[in-house]
Amino acid sequence: MKAEIIANGSVHAVSAEPHPGTRGVERTPALKRWRHALGLLRQTRIIAAKEFSDRFRSGWVVACVLVWLGAIGLTSFLGLIQVGRIGVQGYERTVISLLNLVQYLVPLLGLLLGHDLMVSENEERTLRLVLAGGVSRARLLFGKFIGGVLTLAVPLVLGFVIAGTAIGFAARDNAISPFLHLAISGLILGVIFLGTGLAISTLSRTRVQALVAALLVWCFVVFVFDLVALGITLSARAPAAAEEIDLLCDTTHVNAAADIHATFDNAGETAHLAAVPQNPPSLGWLALNPVDLFRAVNLPAQLGVHVPATTIFSTVFLWLALPFALSFWRFHRTDL
Amino acid sequence: MTPYLQISGLTKCYGANHALDGIELSVETGDVLALLGPNGAGKSTLFGCLLGFTRPAQGELRLNGSAITAAERLNFGYVAERVAVYPQRTVRENAQFFAELKGYSDSEVQRQLTRVGLCSVQERLARALSKGMLQRLGLAIALCGRPELLVLDEPFNGLDPALLETLQEIMREENERGATLLISTHTMSAVEPLATHVAILLQGRLASSGTLAQLKAEHPAADSLEDIYHRIARAKHSAEVLV
Repeated sequence: MKAEIIANGSVHAVSAEPHPGTRGVERTPALKRWRHALGLLRQTRIIAAKEFSDRFRSGWVVACVLVWLGAIGLTSFLGLIQVGRIGVQGYERTVISLLNLVQYLVPLLGLLLGHDLMVSENEERTLRLVLAGGVSRARLLFGKFIGGVLTLAVPLVLGFVIAGTAIGFAARDNAISPFLHLAISGLILGVIFLGTGLAISTLSRTRVQALVAALLVWCFVVFVFDLVALGITLSARAPAAAEEIDLLCDTTHVNAAADIHATFDNAGETAHLAAVPQNPPSLGWLALNPVDLFRAVNLPAQLGVHVPATTIFSTVFLWLALPFALSFWRFHRTDL
Repeated sequence: MTPYLQISGLTKCYGANHALDGIELSVETGDVLALLGPNGAGKSTLFGCLLGFTRPAQGELRLNGSAITAAERLNFGYVAERVAVYPQRTVRENAQFFAELKGYSDSEVQRQLTRVGLCSVQERLARALSKGMLQRLGLAIALCGRPELLVLDEPFNGLDPALLETLQEIMREENERGATLLISTHTMSAVEPLATHVAILLQGRLASSGTLAQLKAEHPAADSLEDIYHRIARAKHSAEVLV
């Protein structure tokens, strides 16, 4: 029997046969495995696309693009006002001016996006319907994360591409490498904090709880950590380490960009700064805070700070894997 | 022969409270099981364990002899007691999203929206829907792809008589094509014409279960399913008072 629908919507007769092309067909194990793998990808893609589409409709993506364009444009134009200059600067100068802004704003964006990913749907009880529809918890979590990455990446990439192109034309600068470095490391920084936000979202019971936790994490990594690190090294009477942390961590948050611009201008006079990191052990402590790692890898070459690749990759891996593992563990133990 | 759905020793605790306590139940393909019980008896918790959003403390649920995975749930349809969809999306977008997750096309979505009478309002935002319309949308989502198991949690709550009749008719059609239905409800008069089997949960325990005919034979003086339910609940309460 086949399903037949009449105009008023009632059904004369419906089939007991399986839905065509979806199930009930004898399959070999290999074909079944392929179909299963494709099914995993399809569900993850659908969840990620919905997440991005919802954020796009809410205006988040467009607002972020505008914020980035404004921020990059203004810092490029007014970035040297602290040292008495105004005008569009080249890529390297823009990077120095942007460093503080990116290290504050990108983790905040990542956390604000991530903290809401699971907890809001749990509060609205829509997660139940998704899980009842044959989506595994791992796929749901991964799809949400990918959707969040897209939502974060699209405005960041657009902002950097548009502003970067404009700076290139206005300042007639071809040395785009530091700017690209900043854009890529900024994007990775955002993804790391999106993962942290996702962990907060799975650990929280309510949206308010998640938001408060996200803001506290942001305050800690951006403000508190550096001061605590400097305090500890000073009290341990390790002046070389204290100087290194002072350089890399922006502990005072006052005129830091001006200090670096001055260093940039007077590279010869600031040889003492360059001397500090010439013998760095491994800068492994940067793994404790990805914001400091981001700052360290974007400092101008004149400062002579070189972060080993192992420190960079292990920190990124650690800060992506840990929150994701925590989210996965917690979500699998949550009754919805 | 392996039953279609086998529930063995299913237990779920919330602190010291046993929401489910050693539930043993089996359901065959094509059965319509009415799950009855007062509020807090464990009906929704049982469905939660079946659908994967509640983790049992003990026991297991098996479908055709195998543990239930997310892939098996692609063949399930679920209507929640309080239908929760994405309020900022339209009726069609909501139905499409859930159908796509299961791998069904837009034509199947249109078919089910037409069937539940939502075709004319498919571009309306879900937040603008009445409770009855939300219930229809939940049903359309559940029906996508001809599920082999339909789980309906309090589907008759707050429905007007016309919608209730439509819902009964759709459930009957689904059962006639071979679907198995699990329906939890307080509206026993609505489920009685549909049910082939009845299970009564009281305080997380299975107080009684069997075919509707068996229960009627055990309680010849009872004139309806509701009457049978009250008699069993009263007997259970009296037994507890005596203990």
